Amino acid sequence: MEREVAIIAYAQTPYEADANASREMQVLQVAKAALEAVGLKQEDRYTVITANNDYLDGRTISNMRLVEPAAAWHKNESKVEMDGAYAAIYGLMRILSGDHDVALIIGESQASVYARWIPGIMMFDPTFDRQRWLLNEVSAAALQARAYMNAFGVSEEQIAGVAAKNLDNASRNPLAFNKLAGASSEKVLSSRKLYEPITELMVAPYCDGACALVLAAGEMAKKAEKPVWIKGVGFAHDSYLTERPLEEMTSLKMAAEKAYAMAGIKDPVSQVDLAEVHENFAHEELMGYEALGFCGRGEGGAFFDSGATKRDGKLPVNASGGAIGANVVCATGLARIIEAAIQIRGEAGERQIPGVKTAVATGQTGPCAQESVVFVLGGE
Amino acid sequence: MGAGIDIGPVPRSSIPINPAFQWSVGNWMDYFYDGLKEGKIRGSKCPECGKVSLPPRMVCQHCFAKCEDWVELPETGTVESFTMAHVKVGANGELEDLPQPEIIVMVKHDGADTCVAARLEGQNASVGMKVKAVIDPEAENFVNMLAGYRPAE
Repeated sequence: MEREVAIIAYAQTPYEADANASREMQVLQVAKAALEAVGLKQEDRYTVITANNDYLDGRTISNMRLVEPAAAWHKNESKVEMDGAYAAIYGLMRILSGDHDVALIIGESQASVYARWIPGIMMFDPTFDRQRWLLNEVSAAALQARAYMNAFGVSEEQIAGVAAKNLDNASRNPLAFNKLAGASSEKVLSSRKLYEPITELMVAPYCDGACALVLAAGEMAKKAEKPVWIKGVGFAHDSYLTERPLEEMTSLKMAAEKAYAMAGIKDPVSQVDLAEVHENFAHEELMGYEALGFCGRGEGGAFFDSGATKRDGKLPVNASGGAIGANVVCATGLARIIEAAIQIRGEAGERQIPGVKTAVATGQTGPCAQESVVFVLGGE
Repeated sequence: MGAGIDIGPVPRSSIPINPAFQWSVGNWMDYFYDGLKEGKIRGSKCPECGKVSLPPRMVCQHCFAKCEDWVELPETGTVESFTMAHVKVGANGELEDLPQPEIIVMVKHDGADTCVAARLEGQNASVGMKVKAVIDPEAENFVNMLAGYRPAE
């Protein structure tokens, strides 16, 4: 990259099914914490990008009234109506343009205030699928899971195993709320049947919360303590779900290839120490292993069975519990970037994986991961 | 969401938001729905690559070309994926149990390059299964004229 850009601060609220706080107060909490961590004040020069969604927040221009708590008054402020990982890319671009040295990135979710699965239905084709009320985020994911299982012989037990791993990992993360120490694939498979093969414990549950990070280049980055450098980024957009092969995550694969090329990653398994993969459903993590080049095409199940992605494996995935631990819609991918940075800084407490120097984080938007973002991060 | 719908524990007052939208489905989907009234399944075809979209699409994503050609497709197709649905999204947005499970399939019609998501009659499905469209020109809501599928054999 033209300029070296680092993550120099982060903040997260606890993620809760129903927080006793407004989105404004949650954004204020993380914006204050992130800015204060690096001594920034509202009068300093920085740009602000938030990630939120008009439909989810029930208002046109959903960042209305987030300008004040995001410390963005009279600033070069904008929002993305996508996952927060896109907000991080937007902020990165503003820094790379040379226009700013510092960007404050914020994602927020208040899932407790809307009718849970209905906004998701509004993602589908309004002239056909949306009206027929058959496709929603869960049924679409189930169709993808079946296509994936059928193409490569992946089993329900392997998918359930991913959920069990992430539920158990979440039990070490004080910020996660969907946690189950010692969870087993049997437990996951015996949970409520939704759309086969998906059971309730395979779903990343919506919640309330906010997170923020500060990106910086130049002097701010140089003087920062424990900067986490952005080594590579990529993002890609795929077709509507009925118009593409569902058995692979093409947008994630394309995004990873771009990010790896930028970061000089040729062999991810040996060069990457940890990954935080935005999995809205357990099978997406297996598909993610393939798209991220952790294993070959169709080998996601076998790679999981090898134990490589467990906490003590050679490439731990979602040590935080991932989205299954807390799905902060519009902030989930941003939280993956933050968790990867926390691991590199060695600040992950009970969920810390020793010796993380290089980490990958992903974000996604749209049904069946239609759009994907990949970040490659590295320590000093 | 409507007034009076339980959306969980909201600390204080909750304000119902009822935006009403009216879309035109557009010329392409109008032509598709008009076809179903006559029992015809019409897909759009890209003049450059020849790919056929069902439901029809106005622009080919591969060629950046306007799809002005039409083809009439057979009623038959193949199941590309399926799910046994035990739930549906209820009016309050939560997943509520169905009285009886039902199957949702992704079907690629013979001669089409994209899929249709719809219900399959019966309780059995498999990937690769041959199915036949069930067309109901009298459907109460016109979007359901392509009512679903049944096993072809």
